[in-house]
Amino acid sequence: MSEVQLTIDGMPVTVPEGTTVFDAARMHGIPIPTLCHQQNETPVGVCRVCVVDVNARVYAASCVRQAENKMVVTTNSDKVRKARRTLIELLMADHPSPCARQRQSGDCELETLARLEGIAQPRYPRRLSPRGQDNSSLVIAVDHEACILCDRCIRGCDEIRHNNVLGRRGKGFMAGIAFDYNLPMGNSSCVSCGECMVSCPTGALTNKSVVKTVLPGEPVSVDDLLDLPYFQKVSGTFLDLNKNAVVRRHFKKGEIVCREGEYGSTAFYILEGSADVSLSTPLAHVKSGGGASGFFKKLTSQLVGRKQERREEEGERTSIPIDASVDLPYNNPVATLGPGDLFGEMTCMSLYPRSATVQAATDCVMLEMLRNVLDIIQRNKTLKAQLDANYKKRALDDHLRSVPIFASLTPEFIDLLREKVELVRYNKGDVICNQGDIADSFYLVRLGFVKVLEPHPGGELVLAYLGRGGYFGEIGLLAGGTSGEGRRTATCTALDHVELVRIRGEEFNAMMAQFPEIRRSLETAARERQEQNRQRLTTATSMPLDHFLAQGLMEAQSLLVLDLERCTRCDACVRACADAHDGVTRLIREGLRFENYLVATSCRQCRDPLCMVGCPVGAIRRRNSLEVIIENWCIGCGLCAKNCPYGNINMHPFTVMANDPVSPGRQMAVVKQKATSCDLCTEHAEPSCVYACPHDAAHRVEPNEFFRWLGTPLETEARR
Amino acid sequence: MIVTVVAFVICLLIYVFYAVRAPGGPRGGSALGLTFGIAGYALMLYAGLLGARKQVPVWRIGRAQTWMRGHIWLGLLSLPLILFHGGFAFRGPLTAVLMWLFFIVIGSGIVGAAIQHFVPRLMTTGVPMETIYEEIPHVRAQLRAEADQLAATVSGAASEVSTLVDIEQEDRERFHQVYLDKVRPFLENPDAGLTELSDARRTAEVFESLRRLLASPVHPVLDDLQNICEEEHQLSRQVRIYRWLHAWLLVHVPLSIALLVLGGVHAVMALRY
Repeated sequence: MSEVQLTIDGMPVTVPEGTTVFDAARMHGIPIPTLCHQQNETPVGVCRVCVVDVNARVYAASCVRQAENKMVVTTNSDKVRKARRTLIELLMADHPSPCARQRQSGDCELETLARLEGIAQPRYPRRLSPRGQDNSSLVIAVDHEACILCDRCIRGCDEIRHNNVLGRRGKGFMAGIAFDYNLPMGNSSCVSCGECMVSCPTGALTNKSVVKTVLPGEPVSVDDLLDLPYFQKVSGTFLDLNKNAVVRRHFKKGEIVCREGEYGSTAFYILEGSADVSLSTPLAHVKSGGGASGFFKKLTSQLVGRKQERREEEGERTSIPIDASVDLPYNNPVATLGPGDLFGEMTCMSLYPRSATVQAATDCVMLEMLRNVLDIIQRNKTLKAQLDANYKKRALDDHLRSVPIFASLTPEFIDLLREKVELVRYNKGDVICNQGDIADSFYLVRLGFVKVLEPHPGGELVLAYLGRGGYFGEIGLLAGGTSGEGRRTATCTALDHVELVRIRGEEFNAMMAQFPEIRRSLETAARERQEQNRQRLTTATSMPLDHFLAQGLMEAQSLLVLDLERCTRCDACVRACADAHDGVTRLIREGLRFENYLVATSCRQCRDPLCMVGCPVGAIRRRNSLEVIIENWCIGCGLCAKNCPYGNINMHPFTVMANDPVSPGRQMAVVKQKATSCDLCTEHAEPSCVYACPHDAAHRVEPNEFFRWLGTPLETEARR
Repeated sequence: MIVTVVAFVICLLIYVFYAVRAPGGPRGGSALGLTFGIAGYALMLYAGLLGARKQVPVWRIGRAQTWMRGHIWLGLLSLPLILFHGGFAFRGPLTAVLMWLFFIVIGSGIVGAAIQHFVPRLMTTGVPMETIYEEIPHVRAQLRAEADQLAATVSGAASEVSTLVDIEQEDRERFHQVYLDKVRPFLENPDAGLTELSDARRTAEVFESLRRLLASPVHPVLDDLQNICEEEHQLSRQVRIYRWLHAWLLVHVPLSIALLVLGGVHAVMALRY
C-alpha cells in the first residue's frame, strides 16, 4: 500500500493513502474536536467542528478530507480555533442547556466542547420554530430541540444495526431526524436496540431509565442477556443502562409466581421449567335469593355456578381469556406454560391486575422484566416470531372457538388459518381502522382493549369496548362480499397495548363460503349490532346537547332518580338494597342534582361502559339487552370498581373454602371478592329500592323520561 | 282516601241511626259499640304494623307506599270509629287516658304528615350542598382540614406547605390570629355560637371586614374560607331540618306503642270485667 507524507501542526507524518486528515492526526496523538464523527461510522462532515486549515481556499472538514502528499495542515491556529468556536456557539444557541444527557450523565459532547471553549452564554438568539419532543417510545426519549443533525443516530441505525429506521426529514429550520415516514418513535418499526441513543452526542436521544425500581431477583449481566437470542441485536451499552429492569428469578416447585387480582408491572419469560396457570376464585356469580317464593326468609346473596343457575345469554363460553399464550378451559381452568412462554404482558404494558395465579409446576428459571425491556424484546423479530408461533399453536383454536359463532370451524380449516393469520400490535391511541375505510380484514382481540366508536356531532359515540375474545370487522367484509368493496362502519382505536389476530379478507371470504352457517350467524349478529348502533345514535341525537354533555347522563340506560321534594331522607331505599344483597348496598343516596331530582349513585347500565375496560379476564360484559353482566370467572381484582367513574360497582366479599398452601390436603376459609353492581332486582317486578320507598320518591327511569320531567322540550333543543 | 271517606260516611250514618235509637244513648259495650271498637282497634293495629313493615323492606307484601297510605288514611278513620265506640264520652280513668293518648297520636301523626309533606322542599331549596346525614361529621372534618391547609398557605404554620402567600410578616400574624380566634372555633363547633361566624347572616360582614383588614394577596384565601363557612352553615341547616323531619317520630312512635298496649288492656278489662 502506498503512503502519503504530510505535515500536521509542524510535525511531519506518514500515513497510508486514503487516510483522512482526522485519522492521520489521531494516529499521531493530535486531537481534533468533532461532533458528527464517530470512529465506527462512515464520516459525513456535517458539523464542521473538525475543520482544519489545509492552506486551501476554505477550511476542510478533517473527518472527510483525505490526506495528500506534502499537505500542510494546521489544526489549532487562532483563525481555526475562532471558526470552531463560532460553530460551537451557533450550535449552543439552539441547544436546551443543560440537555437531558448533560443532566443524566454530565457528558453531552456539545456542552463539553462549549465549556472547553469558554462559551458561557451564546451571543446568538434562539430559534423561533421549536421542533418538539417525542416520548412515544418506552425506552428512549427524543428531544428534537437538542438535536444538532449530526446524523450519528442515522448511521448507527443503518450501518451498525442495519435496521434502517432513522432518516432525515424537512428542510431548513424544520430539518430533523425521523423514524420511518416521520412516525412517532414508539409507533415506528424501531426495534429499541438503543444504538441511536448510544451514538447520539447530545441529549437528543436519551435512555428512559427505570428510576428507583429494584426488582427482586438475581441481576442478569449484559453478557448473559446478549447470549439470549432476542437480545443479540441490542446495543450492549443500552442493555447496561437498563440492566436493573430485568432480573433472573428462580422458583421452586410449588412456589407461587404471581396471584390473580394482584397489581404488578412486570412480565415473565420462562427460561427453564414449567408453571401451572389457574384461577383460584370460584367460578360463580353473585345471586340474591328469597323474596316472593319464601318471603319469610330474608334475601341473601350467595355464589352460584352454572349448574345452579344458567343465566340467560350466558353463552357457550368454553374458555376463559387470560394474560398468557393460552386460554383456560372453563370446566377445568388450569393450563401449563413452559420454556419460551411469556406471560403478564397486559400487566406489564398496561398495568392491569394479574389475570390468573401462576405456580411453579417444577423448579423454574424465569426472567422478570419491566416494560422497557419487554418492549425491546417484543420488537425483536426472532422473539416475535417465536411468541406468534406459540400462540398460533396453542391458543388460536381455543380463541377462535371461544367466539360462539366460530364454534363449528373444523380442525382442518383452523390448521389452514393458522398459517395465514397475522398477529398485529397497536399502541395506545393508535387508530386501527377508520369509519369509511375499505374493509380488508377481520380482527379478533388477543390482548388489550379496542374502542369502537362513531363520530357524532358534539363528540363521538362509543358503540362498544372489545376485550380479549371480542371481534370486529365482519360488518364491512360481509357488506363488501367477494368484491372487497365493503366499508368500515365505525372507527376502532386501541385503548392500550393491543394485539389483534388479523384474518385477511380472502381467508375470511373462504371461511364464509365453506361454512355458510357461520356466515348466517355473523350476518344475524351484524344486523343486531347495526340495529343497536342505530338506536343508540337515535337516542343520542334526540338528547339536548347540553344534557348530552352533562356528566355522562345520556350514556345511561337506567337512572335511579329521587324526588327530593318527596324524599324524607329516611334511607329506606338504601336499607332495602342492603337487605336485598346480604348487607352490601349497591346504591348510595348521593349524586348529581337536577332541579329537585337527585340521580343516585347506582349502576346506570351505561352505553359507554368504562367499567369493562381493562378487565384482566374479560369477566364484565354486556348482554344483548345492554345490561351489564359479570361472568362467573370474575377474580375480584376490583379494577372495574376503580374504572367506573360514578362509583357504582362494589366488591362483595364471600368466605369460601380453599386449599391451605401451608398444609397440603387441608382446607381453610378464605375471603374472595366478586364485583357487583345494581342488578335491578331482576327477580322481582320492581327494584327493591323503589318498592321500599314509602313516599313515592324513588324511581327507575330512562334518561329520556327523566329529561321530560325536567321540562326540557327535547325536540326544540335538538333543532337548535 | 276515597275508601276512607266512603267508609267514614257509612259508619257515620250507622252511628247516627244507632245513637238516636239506642236506649240510654250509645255505649261501648253494646253490639254496635263493640263492633266500632273492634274495627277501630283493628285499624290502629294495622297502622302500627307500618313500623314492622319498614323492618322487612324487601318482603313482597305490598309496596311501602301502599302501606304508608293505608297507615295515614285508615289510621285517620280509626279516630271516628273509636269516638263512635265510646259514644263521644271518656268515662273511666283508663278510657280517658286512652282517649287523650289517642288524640295525641292522631295529632302528632297529622303534624308529622304535614312536616313530611312540606319540609323536604325546604331541605331541597335551603341546602343545595346537602350530604348524607350520617356523613356530616366526616364532611365537617374534611372542611376543617381544608381550612387548615388554606390557613397554612398564609400563616406558614404547616411544614408541608410549599407555597406561601406573599405578604408581610405582620399581616401573616394578623391573619393567623383571626383564624385562631374566629374561624377555627366556628369550624370546630359550628352550632355552639362561639363566634360571630355562627350567625349565617353575619358571616359575609365578618369576611368583608377581614378583607379590609388584611392585604389583597390574602383575599383569595378569605374567599375560600368564606365558602367553607357557608358550607358549614348549610350543614347546620341540614341538621336542623333533618331533626324537624324526624323528631316528631319521637312523640308519635312511643305513644302509638303505648296506645296499642293500653288499648289491648282496655279490651281485656272491658270484656272480662
